[in-house]
Amino acid sequence: MDFHWTEEQAAFRQKLDDFLRAELPDGWEEFSKHGPASPALTEFARQFCRRLAEGGMLFPHWPKEIGGEGLGPWEQQILAEVMWEWGEPRGGQYMNVNWIGPTLVRYGTEAQKARYLPQIASGEMLWCQGFSEPNSGSDLASLRTRAVLEGDHYRVNGQKIWTSYAGLADTCFLLTRTSDDRKRGITILLVPMDTPGITVRQIPSLIGEGDIHEVFFDDVLVPATQRFGEEGQAWEIIGFLLTNERLGIPRYHLARAALDRAVAMLKQAGDFADAMVRAEAARCAALCEAARTANYAIVQKRVDGLPVGGESSSARFATVMAERDVCAFIVEHVPEALAGASAYLQMHHQRGVVAGIAAGAAEIQLNIIASDVLQLPREPR
Amino acid sequence: MQLSLNEDQTQVLDFVDSLTRPYAAVPMHDTSFALTSDALDGALMDNGFLDVMAVEELGPVTAALVVERLARLPFAVEAAVSSLVRPLVDPELPRPVCVVEESALRKPVRFLKPRASVIVVGPSGVRSFTASEAQVRSAGEEVLYAYPMAYLTDMPADARRHDVSAGEVRRALRVAMAAEAAGLLAGALASVTTYVSERQQFGRPLATFQAMRHRLAEAQVLTNGVYWLALRAAGTGDSGDAAMALLHAQEAAKKVGYDYHQFLGAMGMTLEHPLHLWTYRLKALTSELGGRGANALAAAEAIWG
Repeated sequence: MDFHWTEEQAAFRQKLDDFLRAELPDGWEEFSKHGPASPALTEFARQFCRRLAEGGMLFPHWPKEIGGEGLGPWEQQILAEVMWEWGEPRGGQYMNVNWIGPTLVRYGTEAQKARYLPQIASGEMLWCQGFSEPNSGSDLASLRTRAVLEGDHYRVNGQKIWTSYAGLADTCFLLTRTSDDRKRGITILLVPMDTPGITVRQIPSLIGEGDIHEVFFDDVLVPATQRFGEEGQAWEIIGFLLTNERLGIPRYHLARAALDRAVAMLKQAGDFADAMVRAEAARCAALCEAARTANYAIVQKRVDGLPVGGESSSARFATVMAERDVCAFIVEHVPEALAGASAYLQMHHQRGVVAGIAAGAAEIQLNIIASDVLQLPREPR
Repeated sequence: MQLSLNEDQTQVLDFVDSLTRPYAAVPMHDTSFALTSDALDGALMDNGFLDVMAVEELGPVTAALVVERLARLPFAVEAAVSSLVRPLVDPELPRPVCVVEESALRKPVRFLKPRASVIVVGPSGVRSFTASEAQVRSAGEEVLYAYPMAYLTDMPADARRHDVSAGEVRRALRVAMAAEAAGLLAGALASVTTYVSERQQFGRPLATFQAMRHRLAEAQVLTNGVYWLALRAAGTGDSGDAAMALLHAQEAAKKVGYDYHQFLGAMGMTLEHPLHLWTYRLKALTSELGGRGANALAAAEAIWG
């Protein structure tokens, strides 16, 4: 075991950091307060991801055959950490980098790959994930948005909700029901968001402008060539994409950066002498670092080519614990942060409160840990 | 960054596992407060498992791995201080080795007995001596902490001085305690999950009730965190990492200790179930190095100045 970064890894992080420091505009922190899905950041990301792509920094961990640099999971984690720490200047395009690209390569038709990969690779394409529905949140397999094959088109009717980036995305990675079989009746369609019959309504939120939406599908006609994988293959594909997105966003890293920033503000104000405050800050730091090491243990499994199971839920819940206490520390000891005094800490807060909700609720993670890691007998259904 | 076990580490842990297999369960009808074995202790020493830190290709991370693994046993072994602290002070100090803070002589000392080595840490530096009969007062037969414990009544004026700094010894001791706590947390969690998976109420195992599943799952997250923070602290040698590791361990111990006994119902009050062997050792470790508050302040100092 070695807990130090290699020289190459340290240099890679430095290169990314230097690039962002040089390329991000003045006033970036204030600007990044716009959520990653806001019109302003989305527009910015379209320019910025193009520059990242030109610099070989958009998807360095992708295999060379799809235009990456062939670097490994550690570099993917470093990339994610640096971007998220800087307020995610890629906006919603981080999804392309993490899982949409690799999933397209694995399951897409030649026509789909030819259509989408170059746009993703040039940093100009934004997707949204049509997964959750009003009555299908944690129980995703109960989804009801119906797709019926009529000749060479699917007719789609239904509703999605909490869809990030829906307002500005080019294409929706849409889960639909094509038969009543709970899991094998789900089919993926790649739906251009300008297709007639799609209505998007933004939901005002605590976490930033433009972040979550309802999406309505009324008799939306989607060419059958836009089906992704076979009919009923969605559950398998979701399993595959989760191996690429198992860890999700490295929130522990921003939480730690925010904590350090809060401590710096307290020190500057002469308020970091109080033993209670210092001890509480240290407790938060330990939670962040516990989450970091738990996440790194999963990255190592990916490096070693080992299957990743419920322990990724454990790493995710560790991150929730860290975010919960860092958010609370800042509110208690640096209350001005959420009232205009620190764009960075407000940005962190608005992203931090999502940790236990997005990409699988915290309670679902606990269920997975109980069954898969602790091997407890399952609850009766 | 490389977080999987290397071949040497895998081999060492495999040896430890096979050597300790006879000690993996509590002997039939044993209901002692503390459980120790001279034979186990001797076998670990003879095979050099408490001296791996000095072996170049093994080092402190392997030592921490061994300490963690041994702490999962129901038998208490003085491994942590011998493995991770003794090499800094004097690798030849006879075992068991105890560490006491100059300012905390009122506290019971784990593994203290006549002829034990005592390392004293304080403002006047690091000293050591061999405890005499007269310097050791028994804590009695019914110490709840599941470690052999005694009080130090007196310190000799002529204790041997060592060059190593008190800060460095405290750092190593934090790593040692965190690694031991990681193993104790794992042992306690395994003991509880086995029980609640078998115990049936309302026609189904207790472990099928979500109220319990979620709390055990949270305990798993904490246990995993302590494991990794302890290993990282061993690997980096950083004071902040060491203080965070022990702080997190003591936080975790405080969170799970009471609950685990409660999950076992009345069985959790007995000495017939071995759970207390892990939880009460954890309780003993929560007061090490001044407890959560002192370790949090040490972490804050190391991280932010």
